[in-house]
Amino acid sequence: MPAALRAALLLILAGCLYLFLAPPYWFPAGASMQAIFIDHQFKVALWVLGAMFIAGHLVLAFVLWKKPRTDGKASRGNSWLEIAWTVAVTVIFFWLHVSGNHPFAHMKMSTRLISQPEIEVTGAQFQWYFRYPGADGVFGRTDVQKFAKADEGNPLGIDPADPYGRDDILSSSLVVPVGQPVVLRLKAQDVIHSLFIPAMRVKQDTVPGIEIHSHFTPTQIGTYEIVCSQLCGTGHYKMRAVVRVVSEEEFQQWLTAQKKSSRE
Amino acid sequence: MPIIGDRVEIERKPKLGGGGPGKIPHRRGYGGGDDGDPGRSGDFRSREQRMRRYRIAMTLCLISVTAVFVVLTMLYVFRMGKGRFDEDAHAWIRDWVPLTLPYLQLWINSAVLLLSSLTLELCRRSMMQKEEFASMGIIPPRLKHDMPWLGLTVLLGFCFLAGQVLVWNNLRHQGIFLQSNPSRTLFYILTGTHAIHLLGGLAALIYAVAGRLLAMKFETQRIAVEVTGWYWHYLAFLWFGIFALVHFAKG
Amino acid sequence: MPEALSNPNSSRGIRHYLFSTDHKVIGRQYFFLSLAAVLTGAWLSLLMRIHLVWPKLAIPFLGEIKQENYLAYLTIHGTLMVFFVLSLVPQSGFGTYFLPLQLGSSRMAFPRLTAVGFWTALISFFVLVASFFVPGGPAGAGWTEYAPLSAIAAAGPGQGLGTDLWLISIGLFCLSSLMSAASFLVTTIRFRAQGMTWLRMPLTCWAWFITSILILLAFSILLVALVMLILDRHAGTSFFIPGGLAVSGKAINHAGGDPLLWQHLFWFFGHPEVYIAILPAMGMTSHLLSVFARKPVFGYKAMVSATIAIGALGLMVWGHHMFVSGMDPHAGFAFSTLTTAIAVPSAIKTFNWVATLYGGRIRYSTPLLFSVGFVSLFITGGLTGPILAQPSLDAYVHDTYFVVAHFHLIMAMAGVFAIFSATYFWFPKMFGRMMNERMGQLHFWITLFGAYATFMPMHILGIAGHPRRYSDLTGVQYVAAMAPLQKFITVAAIVTISGQIVFLVNLFWSMRKGPLAETNPWKCTTLEWRLPSPTPADGFADAQRVVNYGPYEYNVSGAENDFTMQDAPAS
Repeated sequence: MPAALRAALLLILAGCLYLFLAPPYWFPAGASMQAIFIDHQFKVALWVLGAMFIAGHLVLAFVLWKKPRTDGKASRGNSWLEIAWTVAVTVIFFWLHVSGNHPFAHMKMSTRLISQPEIEVTGAQFQWYFRYPGADGVFGRTDVQKFAKADEGNPLGIDPADPYGRDDILSSSLVVPVGQPVVLRLKAQDVIHSLFIPAMRVKQDTVPGIEIHSHFTPTQIGTYEIVCSQLCGTGHYKMRAVVRVVSEEEFQQWLTAQKKSSRE
Repeated sequence: MPIIGDRVEIERKPKLGGGGPGKIPHRRGYGGGDDGDPGRSGDFRSREQRMRRYRIAMTLCLISVTAVFVVLTMLYVFRMGKGRFDEDAHAWIRDWVPLTLPYLQLWINSAVLLLSSLTLELCRRSMMQKEEFASMGIIPPRLKHDMPWLGLTVLLGFCFLAGQVLVWNNLRHQGIFLQSNPSRTLFYILTGTHAIHLLGGLAALIYAVAGRLLAMKFETQRIAVEVTGWYWHYLAFLWFGIFALVHFAKG
Repeated sequence: MPEALSNPNSSRGIRHYLFSTDHKVIGRQYFFLSLAAVLTGAWLSLLMRIHLVWPKLAIPFLGEIKQENYLAYLTIHGTLMVFFVLSLVPQSGFGTYFLPLQLGSSRMAFPRLTAVGFWTALISFFVLVASFFVPGGPAGAGWTEYAPLSAIAAAGPGQGLGTDLWLISIGLFCLSSLMSAASFLVTTIRFRAQGMTWLRMPLTCWAWFITSILILLAFSILLVALVMLILDRHAGTSFFIPGGLAVSGKAINHAGGDPLLWQHLFWFFGHPEVYIAILPAMGMTSHLLSVFARKPVFGYKAMVSATIAIGALGLMVWGHHMFVSGMDPHAGFAFSTLTTAIAVPSAIKTFNWVATLYGGRIRYSTPLLFSVGFVSLFITGGLTGPILAQPSLDAYVHDTYFVVAHFHLIMAMAGVFAIFSATYFWFPKMFGRMMNERMGQLHFWITLFGAYATFMPMHILGIAGHPRRYSDLTGVQYVAAMAPLQKFITVAAIVTISGQIVFLVNLFWSMRKGPLAETNPWKCTTLEWRLPSPTPADGFADAQRVVNYGPYEYNVSGAENDFTMQDAPAS
């Protein structure tokens, strides 16, 4: 039995290691600036915590193997040992914590991007809408309760009387130029949704009643999935969109094409 | 006839065991050590033991009630200060409409509650006195001024609740409803939660009154009154806290 | 003496059980309530797993599982498991039964309050189950019931009457827990036997004590949140519902509320709740490792301090569930720091468990196997905590299967392993018979491998970006591509849950036909093992115990036996 238990722990250890070292799926390729930081941080965390996982199970298997003391002087505790491992664990965990703050600050607290034009993202049951401000750079006023009519092409409820809203561009996918910061203003129409772009390592809940800022800088041209990651009802599983990262010229072409079609 | 306020010390035969650590010989074994308690005697059923555990239970109950009112107070302050997000302004705006309080009614209710605390305290002391006689086996002579303090407290408690209902009705007739504005919502919630808790206290007092009529053990009645007394005084204190909050933090 | 050896309560009628204030009867009642809850919850999880990988499969009597069914099952599964299993069995079940006995008392401080607490919990369970039979079905917004989804009846099926019943059920559960906690606290403070100082209490009693404090604070706030949500739903208030909302084209007539308020209130309860679930499990593991390694607990005082630290810090870290919620990032930083801090006492406990085993004369019986399994699963599940504690990393894995893996490994599996080990351990005392050892070991092997096989792969799903609470895997292409691994998980789950039949058969068969147990079959030092097995109805009666020793006097030099009962005469 003791041998079986030790073997089981080692087998489990081996199985878990195999799972993480030869995983069938892994992070999607990072396509944004913050993906570089976050992926690095993940790697460090997984290695450090993985090492602790391995050590923990090896020690557990070891103590199940160690022969018992026969002199009856069982140790009740050892203050030095307690202090030592408390300090060790504190150092490791807090080092992980502090080193993780840089990417977090970068993601959340950068204020130098305010000059970038925002793109408004609205989550609704069960659809994502993306709105560009158009040539005037200002979003038109919206009132979902008064003006929103999804079947008439106005799902966001843009006020028809507002001149700023006339050139707003509505899209069902997020089109952005590569290499430039993308500033998002996140909203929701009904319940809490969450904008999750795995390749960009972006996730931010969209909360009805408030506008939340988010940003990222795409670094690679391509098409990436957007999914909803906050339970929002029966259609939560299919609330998806894409972000298309294109070259600057293609982005301008796309914008022009959208403006043309919205005027017609 | 004893002078009111005199404490009579009662000799009791100490009993062994139960109720907590007695004198402890230090033995091998971790976690030893006398934690400093002198030999505490008494079994589960003694008056002191019962009173003590009900007091501890009431303290725990008060901690829970405090947690509830701390959260509600924080909600009040944050909601008032932070306001709500306005989509047109793209900013947080304060939408707190100060509530004109019906001060006269509120002060009357406060006086009633304070008076009820007073009568309950008088009841508690009178019972404490009576109990000391009762434990000696003496049926106390009817004191000349043996007022029904407990009944009076119950009456005053109901008056307070009725007064609160009047305040709410008054506000409703002015068109001030629960859902009109956050200031209204939170006023109703704070006063309503307080009233519900007071109702619970009233139920306990009615239980004590019923005890008298149903010939419940005097000790049980006394514990009920004592412990509910703590609760009642705390709710009175809480009431003044709520009153102060809605007055000084009117917005 | 056949009467003493058979269950003295078995011949009593229904009246006895309805009005019993005997804490041992109430403890058993909680145990069986949780058993009903866990069977229902496990059945729901099976339905969920089967639906995910075989969506067209028609279940007998149920038919094909629809999206709203899935979300309802998900919600009720979580609710049953977190509330009715993990908050009941370790604390109210075993605690109600064994706290007074381990303290050397013949009763709880407030027997009637304890009984009312149980009946309230039972009614709460029935109300929750009743929600399956109302129009719209049960609530379907997850056990966390985030507003505004939970506040607006039109937002989804199950968000009408089903959610109201959920709110009433959990409200009743709050009251039940508060009553039980008050009883536990006063019992521990006032009802310890003579000589039972605080530092001579078994670690199980410490765990029940700290957990009761957490219950007192956390469930009070949950009650406030539930009342506020009920008011939002039915009285037109707007605590959680902001203005300008439209659901399915219909305007919602509320304004001024904040959805984040619900999250703050809920998680202020929700995080201590998971410590309420795990602290008694940790206490039981410490206790059992010591008994079966025949060694005192390594670092008893450190264990007590760590328990207190986990309890205290557990009240301060709720924001780590809200890193991506739109909360102020500065607050996120504060919560992240506190969450990292709470990893330290958890690690201290793990080291002490391992050190308790080190050099011990280990007896490999089923309770020990499950306790070792607890340590393994606690290490595994716990180590993904520091990843989730960092907002930058949590921003990626939040609401993915990574989180599902984390909390299932540490709560569902480690917590449940502790429940199993306590069941096998205390079964002789509760029912007077021993459980079958061979079946117990078989149960252990299936469950240990099953637990890892089911939940470890979920980390990979989460890392690949697979969101949680998806009722259908075909909606998003990269999610659909991970179906093979989901199939593996489902098969592992089916095997693991099926393996629990071994436990159920063992449990019920042994209650009737198991070999009769002696008074102290495990040679344990704590006071409940003084009493005959099963415990007689009057427990310690009026016999006063005098405690002279600490709770873990195993293999101490100079003693005659390899263990010394706590109330052995002082030498």
